[in-house]
Amino acid sequence: MKGRIVVEQPGNSVVTDLGRFRGPRFGLPVNGALDQFSARAANILTGNPDNAPVLEVTALDFRMRADQDLLISVTGAPLTLTVGGREQPQWEPVSVRAGEAVAIRGIHTGLRAYLAIHGSVDAPLLMGSCAPDTVVGFGLKLAEGTVLGIRRSVAPLRQPYFDIPLFRLGLERPAMGSELVVDVTDGPDVAEFGDSASLLFASGYTVSGRSNHIGLRLGGQLPERMSSAEVLSRGVPVGAVEVPNREELLVLHRGRGVTAGYPVLAVATSLGLDVLAQARPGDVVRFRKTTVAEATLAYRASMRQLESLRTTVNTVFKLLGVGDEPGWRELPPAIAI
Amino acid sequence: MSTNTAPAVEIHESGDSAVRVVAVSADPERNWETVHRLAGWLDTCDAEGLHGAVPTYDSVLVEFDPAVVSAKQLRAFVVLGLRQLGLRQLDLAGSSARGSLEFEVPVAYGGDFGPDLEKVAEQQGITVAEVIALHSAKSYTIRCMGAPAGSPMMDGPDFPLPVPRLEDPRLSVPAGAIAVAGRQAVIAPATAPGGWCVIGQTPLTVLDLGRDPLVPYRPGDTLRFRPISHGEFDGYVGSHLEALNPATLLPEVAL
Repeated sequence: MKGRIVVEQPGNSVVTDLGRFRGPRFGLPVNGALDQFSARAANILTGNPDNAPVLEVTALDFRMRADQDLLISVTGAPLTLTVGGREQPQWEPVSVRAGEAVAIRGIHTGLRAYLAIHGSVDAPLLMGSCAPDTVVGFGLKLAEGTVLGIRRSVAPLRQPYFDIPLFRLGLERPAMGSELVVDVTDGPDVAEFGDSASLLFASGYTVSGRSNHIGLRLGGQLPERMSSAEVLSRGVPVGAVEVPNREELLVLHRGRGVTAGYPVLAVATSLGLDVLAQARPGDVVRFRKTTVAEATLAYRASMRQLESLRTTVNTVFKLLGVGDEPGWRELPPAIAI
Repeated sequence: MSTNTAPAVEIHESGDSAVRVVAVSADPERNWETVHRLAGWLDTCDAEGLHGAVPTYDSVLVEFDPAVVSAKQLRAFVVLGLRQLGLRQLDLAGSSARGSLEFEVPVAYGGDFGPDLEKVAEQQGITVAEVIALHSAKSYTIRCMGAPAGSPMMDGPDFPLPVPRLEDPRLSVPAGAIAVAGRQAVIAPATAPGGWCVIGQTPLTVLDLGRDPLVPYRPGDTLRFRPISHGEFDGYVGSHLEALNPATLLPEVAL
């Protein structure tokens, strides 16, 4: 017996993980889930390692069906999640019976949702990561009829005592909305922009529809570079804020080319990148200046929150027998896809 | 023990997950060596929380996980690495684990293979034949792996002038494109958008997702272009770019 998920309505979805961290050394962008917090949370909520392959569903409706009982969770942007037609909560573990359709509809306020499955799905790896790389043409982009191999099945979880929800995890969810605040630190080349650098904090920027996983293009008041000397190609950090032309500001995201020759005005923080991952075309982004030390503290606080979520989830799973025999059972390996 | 042999660098903050280290000696060759050797040292450290290093010409971007190390700790670590490199300058000079490889790249110049060849000749004020001759005359050192997809970035041919970038970058430049811009030369390993002038194309497969590493060269290797006729192009299709000299494994240098 092999476990399979069949994608019935792909929308715009891929299988990804936290990224190809060995890639940049070899000229490949890190890529991976754009909203890292939501991707980690989805995995933790299903008892997976943070870096397990998850489905990233961007903007459009998605539907799949499995031939095994599953334990899933959906995080990221607000949406309507239904399992076998019944509405289910986001940011909670959810049981799915074999044959039931799992549908994600009406993603709103943010842009990307993350769907994790206990035991995860099979995905091809490149340099240790399944994250798609659109430039070299690698990755699992889901299409109608795509079959995903699954390795574990979890019988439906039922709270045996009272008819109340199993989990009330109360996780603090990332901020989303049409007015977003993104923290940035001074970039290594901020001096090249002279006094105009402070324009970045003076007013909001509108997200262009031409934004993607490589970078977000933003319209608004543009700081101006003082010199026009050609810059040698340098490694650019994810989150780099650049002014490549007179029309737009560019904020590089996880799919960014590893090297470039534009001066880096500012760098979005790790948490700021999660906010940008959920920005929809037309949303307004305001930049807020912070320091590297403060950004590091904020990031660590958010990681601690995920750690405490992991502790809670693992405790509940243990009581329910998930993650131990006999709550789930190993399925034989699926046919290679 | 003196530390003044450590290479001169500046370390710049680059967000909460990276620092940029810039070598600032007056000698570009020494700067290039410094950043590549620092990147190599960081690679072999296998330090927890360190994702990796991206060295280019005079700088290296060091990426890390801010949950595990802070930018401040990373900075101290880089300084330690530089000190090690400075003190062991003589032991390490010119050595690497696998020695330098040489590559020869057949190129069909001009026509559909190199749509910007004539424009480059005109801009340089020389003939098309001279552009080809200059481009294929010398042996290039691969300076770094750039975007997209691990492109081998090289110092350009000895043209009279820098080559301007295209005003309208192409949305798609095919894999194997041979391009020049400024004082630099490159091969495109994968099909991607590009703003450099394309003067030719190699029929060889440069990037193979089935191989590890994905591309056969790395910084420090050398490369030469050999002109072929348009008619010869198809005969090479399907072959991979391979080194002329097999990798000779030198003894690892302990740090």
